[in-house]
This record gives sequence, structure tokens and C-alpha cells, in this order.
Amino acid sequence: MCASVKYNIRGPALIPRMKTKHRIYYITLFSIVLLGLIATGMFQFWPHSIESSNDWNVEKRSVRDVPVVRLPADSPIPERGDLSCRMHTCFDVYRCGFNPKNKIKVYIYALKKYVDDFGVSVSNTISREYNELLMAISDSDYYTDDINRACLFVPSIDVLNQNTLRIKETAQALAQLSRWDRGSNHLLFNMLPGGPPDYNTALDVPRDRALLAGGGFSTWTYRQGYDVSIPVYSPLSAEVDLPEKGPGPRQYFLLSSQVGLHPEYREDLEALQVKHGESVLVLDKCTNLSEGVLSVRKRCHKHQVFDYPQVLQEATFCVVLRGARLGQAVLSDVLQAGCVPVVIADSYILPFSEVLDWKRASVVVPEEKMSDVYSILQSIPQRQIEEMQRQLFMEPARRENWSAANHQMNSLIWPREQRDSQIINDRIYPYAAISYEEWNDPPVVKWGSVSNPLFLPLIPPQSQGFTAIVLTYDRVESLFRVITEVSKVPSLSKLLVVWNNQNKNPPEDSLWPKIRVPLKVVRTAENKLSNRFFPYDEIETEAVLAIDDDIIMLTSDELQFGYEVWREFPDRLVGYPGRLHLWDHEMNKWKYESEWTNEVSMVLTGAAFYHKYFNYLYTYKMPGDIKNWVDAHMNCEDIAMNFLVANVTGKAVIKVTPRKKFKCPECTAIDGLSLDQTHMVERSECINKFASVFGTMPLKVVEHRADPVLYKDDFPEKLKSFPNIGSL
Amino acid sequence: MQSWRRRKSLWLALSASWLLLVLLGGFSLLRLALPPRPQPGASQGWPRWLDAELLQSFSQPRELPEDTASPPQAPHGGSCNWEACFDTSKCRGDGLKVFVYPAVGPISETHRRILASIEGSRFHTFSPAGACLLLLLSLDAQTGECSSMPLQWNRGRNHLVLRLYPAACPRTFQLGQAMVAEASPTVDSFRPGFDVALPFLPEAHPLRGGAPGQLRQHSPQPGVALLALEEERGGWRTADTGSSACPWDGRCEQDPGPGQTQHQETLPNATFCLISGHRPEAASRFLQALQVLAALQEMSPARVLALRQQTQFLWDAYFSSVEKVIHTTLEVIQDRIFGTSAHPSLLWNSPPGALLALSTFSTSPQDFPFYHLQQGSRPEGRFSALIWVAPPGQPPLKLIQAVAGSQHCAQILVLWSNERPLPSRWPETAVPLTVIDGHRKVSDRFYPYSTIRTDAILSLDARSSLSTSEVDFAFLVWQSFPERMVGFLTLSHFWDEAHGGWGYTAERTNEFSMVLTTAAFYHRYYHTLFTHSLPKALRTLADEAPTCVDVLMNFIVAAVTKLPPIKVPYGKQRQEAAPLAPGGPGPRSKPQAPAPDCINQLAAAFGHMPLLSSCLRLDPVLFKDPVSVQRKKYRSLEKP
Repeated sequence: MCASVKYNIRGPALIPRMKTKHRIYYITLFSIVLLGLIATGMFQFWPHSIESSNDWNVEKRSVRDVPVVRLPADSPIPERGDLSCRMHTCFDVYRCGFNPKNKIKVYIYALKKYVDDFGVSVSNTISREYNELLMAISDSDYYTDDINRACLFVPSIDVLNQNTLRIKETAQALAQLSRWDRGSNHLLFNMLPGGPPDYNTALDVPRDRALLAGGGFSTWTYRQGYDVSIPVYSPLSAEVDLPEKGPGPRQYFLLSSQVGLHPEYREDLEALQVKHGESVLVLDKCTNLSEGVLSVRKRCHKHQVFDYPQVLQEATFCVVLRGARLGQAVLSDVLQAGCVPVVIADSYILPFSEVLDWKRASVVVPEEKMSDVYSILQSIPQRQIEEMQRQLFMEPARRENWSAANHQMNSLIWPREQRDSQIINDRIYPYAAISYEEWNDPPVVKWGSVSNPLFLPLIPPQSQGFTAIVLTYDRVESLFRVITEVSKVPSLSKLLVVWNNQNKNPPEDSLWPKIRVPLKVVRTAENKLSNRFFPYDEIETEAVLAIDDDIIMLTSDELQFGYEVWREFPDRLVGYPGRLHLWDHEMNKWKYESEWTNEVSMVLTGAAFYHKYFNYLYTYKMPGDIKNWVDAHMNCEDIAMNFLVANVTGKAVIKVTPRKKFKCPECTAIDGLSLDQTHMVERSECINKFASVFGTMPLKVVEHRADPVLYKDDFPEKLKSFPNIGSL
Repeated sequence: MQSWRRRKSLWLALSASWLLLVLLGGFSLLRLALPPRPQPGASQGWPRWLDAELLQSFSQPRELPEDTASPPQAPHGGSCNWEACFDTSKCRGDGLKVFVYPAVGPISETHRRILASIEGSRFHTFSPAGACLLLLLSLDAQTGECSSMPLQWNRGRNHLVLRLYPAACPRTFQLGQAMVAEASPTVDSFRPGFDVALPFLPEAHPLRGGAPGQLRQHSPQPGVALLALEEERGGWRTADTGSSACPWDGRCEQDPGPGQTQHQETLPNATFCLISGHRPEAASRFLQALQVLAALQEMSPARVLALRQQTQFLWDAYFSSVEKVIHTTLEVIQDRIFGTSAHPSLLWNSPPGALLALSTFSTSPQDFPFYHLQQGSRPEGRFSALIWVAPPGQPPLKLIQAVAGSQHCAQILVLWSNERPLPSRWPETAVPLTVIDGHRKVSDRFYPYSTIRTDAILSLDARSSLSTSEVDFAFLVWQSFPERMVGFLTLSHFWDEAHGGWGYTAERTNEFSMVLTTAAFYHRYYHTLFTHSLPKALRTLADEAPTCVDVLMNFIVAAVTKLPPIKVPYGKQRQEAAPLAPGGPGPRSKPQAPAPDCINQLAAAFGHMPLLSSCLRLDPVLFKDPVSVQRKKYRSLEKP
């Protein structure tokens, strides 16, 4: 169409330059061209209205061309919002069962223009923000174009601002949606609810059971566990890019940037400014700006002009004060600027409060305590303020992640929609829900912090005992000796032999030593070191003793004591000989140390107790290619286990008793010094490799080991529980 | 010629225009002729409007300035929220002060003990005028009598009505603005952020202490049933894994699996229990419809592990006794009053829980000994020595020198607690030395003095004798276990069959459960706990029987950590010449156990025995090893 219009204009403009006698031909000619172009245009746009789903023509439609729907004056109106609605009463979860990935599917109704009997439109067809919001949904994983598979329906009727629509007619428009069904599973978005004079805190449009994602809910209107509270969109946040500013003190302690405040509140704030001087700044709109300056981007104090929202970055705390509505767009600006919001709006439900921990990122002050707000804020320790500021940085960080795909819309709207859907998703699939930490912990905190998988202080009962796992290849004689020795340990409850030799069968049943506990042999498919750390179903106890088939020097007392120590530290590796990692300043890398030092950071797993959960972690959650590296090098599986456990628990190993060596490779003198040295080099290489895969050095160095309480005390040996503790 | 030229130009123009047409329209015609196939993977979503840029914003700038209307009002007269119905102005200063209405007439034993428990707590006040919360106990189910409207009712403002058991009698007066704390509130009457939902307590629920959680294993045992369903008559049916093959339409015919029914008292031995509220019979249908089993099977071992442990933590911290439930309720309300200085969520949701991590101590998790791992922080590298000088009161010069010699020592505090005048001269030390004039009470030793500026405290008795390397090593160990007590001399408790009570001994044994506080490292937070959270009666007990204070401190720390203390080597022990034991004047040949009655009184007050035994001692890595002493860092620890 556009093209034809252009030719039409150019046509007559050319004609006066032509000779009049050719005129008739050119008119004919242009008529033909025009006709052709109209026909082309028809072809281009005609199929559009029939097959709206065709990709290539979806791109080129105008909002003005959407179908018009006439609403008869007597068409049905939904009930008012049902305040008693909860997920289990008003939401049909059975619609949400068709998807494999635990993501709810969202359908968007096609855009239509609604008019009343007289052809007067019901509302603006669609606002820029609502269009972008729906676009964000349709680009997300949640979107489906199959109405039958959808779990959640989003009407394209724009109710973001109640003041731009006619309430009764909008409600009628909602009621005639094809799957309305009293509004079940329908999600409406509203940011500016209510209207003068009393400004309701929720959308006034009757909506029956529809879910409402609203800005400015109060405790009176918010249906806990049903509605979603969202922030009020601020156009400025989308337009302005603020530089990142780290935690720490800022120029102003408290800042108020809102315009149009109630005079009474403004008086209170100005009184604070008088009392506390420079550290408090109360801004208002500017009265005498020169032409062409955007007044929304400036704030003034007396005659001083400040750039908004940049000025927010200069303050530690920023006031977010209720207006006629509870939800204020300034909250978004303040968050973006990394200023800790001081929310003064009684009964306001903060955005996404169902999942976000606002205590960690804001200060909520009751309206009646407004005059005390300065002293309340002063009483907050600096460290807590910095934690709040760090918490705020998460918001923009997450925003960037989520909006990378959507360049046009790097505002709050995109993550908001993601969050809404995610929150509702969590309600429908609570068992797959994102945990509190995932919602609230900034990546910065995650870096240094550890969430120990075995966090409950619990000393497992002794009666459970432990399972000994012996990895063996073909040293049958030595293996049998180990089995006999280990079976003497009182708390042994099962013995598992992992037969790692595929070319040879394990000895016949009758040849095995007769022991008092069950003995099982597991044959492996491949000769791999990691077989030692596989979470075999046969392991029924929580405690596992990994033991090599040549460790025969450990006494029964030593092993039993090791188990007792493990019970007191069930989340740690408890082993006998200790090893250390050191930073080699000359080579600028890590070094493995087996000298007899005063410190330990690892224990050898030639004989070590640990929780069987770490077998699961080793087999399925080992980062990077460490497992393959270990199997390829046939070495360092113990170092890998030490890294894994230290990384996930943040705790050091426990070395038990004096043992410094087994008959271990690095101590044998079969091939003399050279073999020893290659071994050490290889082990050092492992440490460097693993540290780079983990991205950090998780090992913790300690200077203690665990001995029996009366070890080497001047006390009768026969009265000691563990008299027979071996040396070195 | 003219016409030919005219015709030529006409043809030229025509062909040019058709060429143009073909170029412009050809592609469209082509596409029209070949019906487009939906591209795989391409979402045919929301249209990209041609005029999207021209759309108007939902709010015009001129709309934004608003008149401030009055605060949103309650839609119905009966409803309440925190701002509207609670007057926080009464709670300034001391935080939450609770007045409990005394019972009228005869009351049940439970009622009496609950009253006593609140009266013993730090929240209690005897004056209704000074209270910020007035508590009305509604324990009707027990005695059958119904409470009448109390005196200071004032439409229920700042009142909390605590209903531990389902109300048996009709409500005799309107609850109005009072908060209600009850089990299973209905959605219609519950006011979020105002009322408090309680767990449903059986009448036999222990008042204090309470049984610890029954979890013995962190991870589920292989072979144990995955899910148990609550059945109608209080029994349980266990469902196993193979039975989740129900189609998603909520209409599957088959039985929920090869289950077996267990009865009543014993809880089922299963990883998950399905509880379906009021309609147990719906459980099996619920199971089929929601494919609970399939969902649970999908759950990763890590998540199951975390959930299991969290249930135990929540039970132990908030649910296991009536007292904990009541204190949790009060703590929730106090957090609402405190606002910014309320417990951070981390303190509520990770061990030891908000009742034991006082927000009055700090709201920053790093200040506590419990959260260093989650916070990615480390305990401080310095300690304060707090030396208690009891009668006869000689300045412990040797001890001061030994402690001040430690590179980790930040300050020395001398708590002068005897009748003799303060000495005017103190030894010159590298670290600041402060003298505090005490009140001659043993509980002074555990007062949170503001002069203590480090997290670690080395608590000492003037007669203790320690070497610098003993102090250094013990402090390094404490840094690895900042939530525990690290001590040199130990006591151990035992169950005395003959007397039917607890006893304890200072004899050297293979196990220990307490360390003497006359030489021990611990976190300064325990001073706050000792002074501000213990019932006053227990502190008095410590003052009256000074030897009991060690046991009391060990009880507190064990109740919080649920772990035993840690023992480090002590060189003088073999000589049996060190009077490290607390108590009265006079030399002692060895630490002597105080009267055993103390431990029984404490066990009764705590409601259970929190002490745990340990069978290990943490020694330096090369301790007493037959290697060259030149290698050893703590060689003086081994000297006789």
C-alpha cells in the first residue's frame, strides 16, 4: 500500500514536465502500473486476514487493521474479583499436564479492537508496553500457539492502566473470550489500578477468577498465593543506562526524588532535611527549565538542578513514598540505581514478595514513623547496608541475562513476565520450584559461599556401621588378608569387593575368607579407577570405608576409631596419611607435598571413611573432565575426591592417628628415586589441573589431627578404648 | 514515424512497467502459489506490528502526579492488617514485652506450665501497662471452661489470642483487632501478615525440650518405600515405585500400588509422606491425578537430602515442644515490630534457627558463629582473653604473660571479682589490658561486655596455667570450629542407674561431653545467649552453685550446636598439678566434679539432655610422633 501511495504522488508531479500530447499515454501507462501495484499489494496483504499464522506476513501488519468486535450493551459481565480464590479453588491444574519440561504453557489471544453498540471504542487497542510484554511472552519458552495445550491464557485486552479503559465494557470483552470460563487460568496485567477519588489498590474491572498480576496491591486486595504483585514500569529505567556503582558510602544518606508528593509528607521530609543538613536531599520538580529540556529527566532542590535518575546513584537510601496509589514507578528507578529503597507505604505488597526477600534489599518503614526514618536508618550497621546494596546489584544483573535476547526491551518488563510465569509455574509444580536461595542469592555470594549438602548437625548412630569397599585387580592373596583384617573391626556391616579385572574371574566362593558380615563381589565392565567411587546399590550404610587391597597395616582399633571420628564429622573425608598442597612461588603453580609437615589439606583414599553421598557426587556431579582425566591417567582419584568434598562442604579433611604412609607408591623404593619423582610431578599436575577446572582452590589447610582422647597419655593402656593405635 | 516512435515508447514503457511488476510482485505471487509450510521450530507468536513504534505508552507523564488519598481502607469492618490494628508505639525501647492474663479459677497443669514458661522467658512483663502485647491463652479444650472478656481488652488491640488446641467452646466475645494464633486457620478468616498459623499440636505434646527428630541418616536408606499415604483411620499405606503408570487424565483404574497398611502410632518408614488435609480418602486419587510418584522419582538425590535435613531442622527448632511453638509465635511478632532489625531469612531457615540466633545480638549473619560457610566468610584471626580473678585474688602475672605472648591475642580483660582492692600495677603487655570491676557473681563471667572487641573469647581462671603454644594451637583449632567450645580439661556425663538421674565426673575417661570454661575458647555470642536468653532462674542457679556454671555453659552450646565440644592437648595434665577446676579457694589436686544435682536441674529446665559425647582429641599433626622435634611446630606441647 505504502509503495502505491508513493507512486501516486510522484506521478502527477512528473506530468507537467511532459509534453501534453504524450499525456494520454503516460496516464494509461501509470494506470496500468498502478493497477499492477495495487494487485501486488492485494496479494501481499489479502491472505493476511485469512491465514494470520503465516510467518512471512505476520511481520507486516498494522495495529489499526485488527478485526473489530462489537459488544452488545447487554452482553454478560463477569462477577467481581473473587477474593477467596486460591490456586486449588480457582485454578484448573489439569490443563497444565501436557508438557514434558515442567514449564507451563501460555496462550495469547489474538489482538482485537472492541467497540460498543455505537462504535465507540472500549479502550486503546494496545499500549506500547503491553505489546512489548506480550512479545516477550511469545518469545519465551512458556509460549504456545495451541489453545488446547495452554495452561495459562493471556488476553490481549490491555488493562495496564485502568484510567484508559471503560470498566464495564472491558469486562464484557473479557467475558466473551473463547476460553474465559469464569476467568479460570486467565492472567491479567495491571500497573495503574483504581481511579479518583479513592484509588482502589486492585483493578476495578470485574474479572471473576482471573489471576491478576498487579502493581500496587495492598494487603486488603492481594489474594495471597494467587495474585502476583509486580512493579510499576518506569519508562526511564528502559531509556537510561546507569554506570555500575559498587557498595559503599555515598554522597547523600537519604534522598527523596518523587514529585507530586502530598504536602504533608513533603513537610515531613523537608523537616528531616533541615534537621540533618547535607546528608538528606529532598528534590521536587523544576519550575523554570529552559525549553526543550525534558522535565521528567530533571529534579530540583531550590535552584540547584539535578539529572534524574542519575542523582539516585549518589544516595545510600532513597525514599519510595506512597501516592494515591501504593505502587510507584520510582521503585524501579531506585532499584536500577542501586539505591536502597526505603518503602513508606503501609499495607503495600512489594513486587514478587512471594519469592523475593525484600528484607535483604530494602527498608520498610511505617507511615506513622516517617519522622523517625533518619534515626531508623542510622541504626542499621554499615555491613548490613552493604549487603543490601550487593543484593540490589543482582537485579540489574539478572535483568541483563534475561533480556539479552530481547534487545528492544531491556526494561523491567521482560524479566517481570518471566518471573510471573515462573512464580505461577512454581505454584503448579511446587516440587520443581526454584529454591529460595536461587531466587535471592546473588552470584557474588554464591562464589565465596558454600551450601553444605550435609548441613544438619547429626551424629549417626554407631549401630549403623560402615561398608568397606575394596578395589582390587588381581592381588588375591593380599586382598584376602585385607578382608580378614577389616572383618575384625566391630562396626563393619558389609564388605564389597570391586573386581576391576575383566580378563580374570574372581576366585570361587569357597576360596574367600569366611567372615561374620556379608561379602559381595561386584564385577566392573572396565578397569577404571573411578569404579571405586561408584554409588553401588549394595551400599546400605551411610558410612563408606574405601580401602586398597594392600592396606594391611591398619589395626582394628585404628579402623574402629576412624569410624567413630567419621560419626562426629559425617560431612568430611576422614583418612589416615595426610598430604598437603603448596604454592610453588618459583614455578607459580601448585605443588603436591608428601613430606611430614605440620599441616594437612588432603587424606589418601587408600583407606578413608566418607559419606556415601560423595560417591553419587563423584560419579554424577564431578565438574569438567576430571573423571575422564583420572581414568586416563590411572592416578589422582583420591585428590579428585578431596577436591570434590572440600568444594561442596567448604570444610577441611580430618586426619586420624599418626600414620604418615601406607605401603604407597610414593614411599616404595622399588624403582628408586626417579619413579618417586615422576609420581610427585604427576600428582602436582593433578592439583593444578583440578584447581583450574574448579576455578578455585577448594582445599582447606589445618594443623590438627584426631587422636583418641587418652592417646599417649599417662594412663593404664588396658583402660583405653583404642589402645592399639599404630605408629607412622 | 511519429506513431512508430509513439508505439515504441509505449512498448518500452509497458515492458518496463511489467518488469517492475514482476520484480515487485513476483516473489509474493510465487509464495502465494506455493503454500508456505510452517518452519520447524519457528514460533508463530505475537505479531510484530508495523506501527509498534507509534503505539502510545500506557501512562502519560501528565498522569503521574497524584494527590495522596487517605491510606487504603479495609473493605470490611472485621478485617485487620498489621498497620491498621497493631500499635507499635507501645513497643519502643525493649522490643516485645508480653503480659499474660492470669488464669481465673482452677487451671490445668498444662495451662500452668505454659504460663510459667512464658513468665520465665525474656519477653515477659508483669505490668499490662508496660506491655506491648497482651496474651490471652485459650486452652479451652483442656479444662472445658471458657474464657471471658479480659479487662484491658480495648477491642482486642495489641492482643494475641493463642489457641493451641481446637476451640471447644463458642466464642464469647468478638475477637476484633486481636491477632489469632491457631492451628489450621481457614483461608477465609486468616489474615496474612497479621494472624499466625500454628502447627496442630497433639494434647500429649511435650511442653519443653521435646524429642529430637527421628532422622538417623542424612540420606534415605535404599529399599525403603518412597511414599506413604495417610489413610482414613490414621493408618498409613506405603506405595512403591512401580505404580506410577497412570495416564494424565486423573482417571486411572488401578490401585495405587502394591502397598501395605501400617497402623497408627508408628510413622511409616518412607522417604515421603502424603498428607491430604481433611480428606485422607482423597489421597489415593490425588496420587494418581498428580503423578506424585513420578514427580518424586524424578527428584534428584541432592534435593531429597536437603529436604530431609530441613524437616529435621524445622522440627527441632520450632515444632518439637509447646514452649518452642509459643516462643516462635512471639518471635514472629517481634520481627514484625522490629522491622529493619528483624531476623534475616537465613537465620530463620538454617540451623540453629531464629529462637537461638538472637536478632538483638546482630542482624548480620557474619557476626554469628554459625553462618561462615554460607556467607563465604572466615572467623576473625584474633581473640580476647577474659581472666576471672576470684578470691583470694592474686594478679595472674604468669598467665597474662603466656597469653599475651600469643600472636593471635588482641586484648586482655581482667574481671576482678573479689573483695581485695584492685592492684595498681599490672604487667607490661604487648596488647591492651583492661580491668573490669565485677559484681562478685559467677554469672558475671559470661556477661557480654562491650569492651570485648573480638569474636573469639579465651575464658580463663586466674589459677589456670597455660603455655603460649597451647593457646596458639587451641585458637587455630577454634577457627576451624567457631561454633563449638574448644577446651583443655574435660568432664563427662553419664546416666546413673543407681540414682535414676544424670551424673558427671571429672575423671579421665575415654569420652567427654563438656570442657571446663576456666580455660576454653568460644564465640562471644554465647555470652549474649547466656545473659539474655536463659531463664533468670538458671542464671541464679549458677550464681548459687558456682561449680554449676561450667555445666550450664556446655548445656547452652550443646543445645545450640547439637555437637560435642572439642578437646585439645594439655601439657600439665600428666603432672596432675594444675588446679584448672572452678570453685572455691584452696588448692586442689585435680579437677573435682561439683554436686551432681546441678546437671539434673539443668536437664529438667532444658527439657532434655543436650550434651553429646566425643571420643577424640585434636592434636597437632606431628604430636608425639617419633620424628625430629625440629620438624614440629608445637614442640613445647609435648614437654613434660
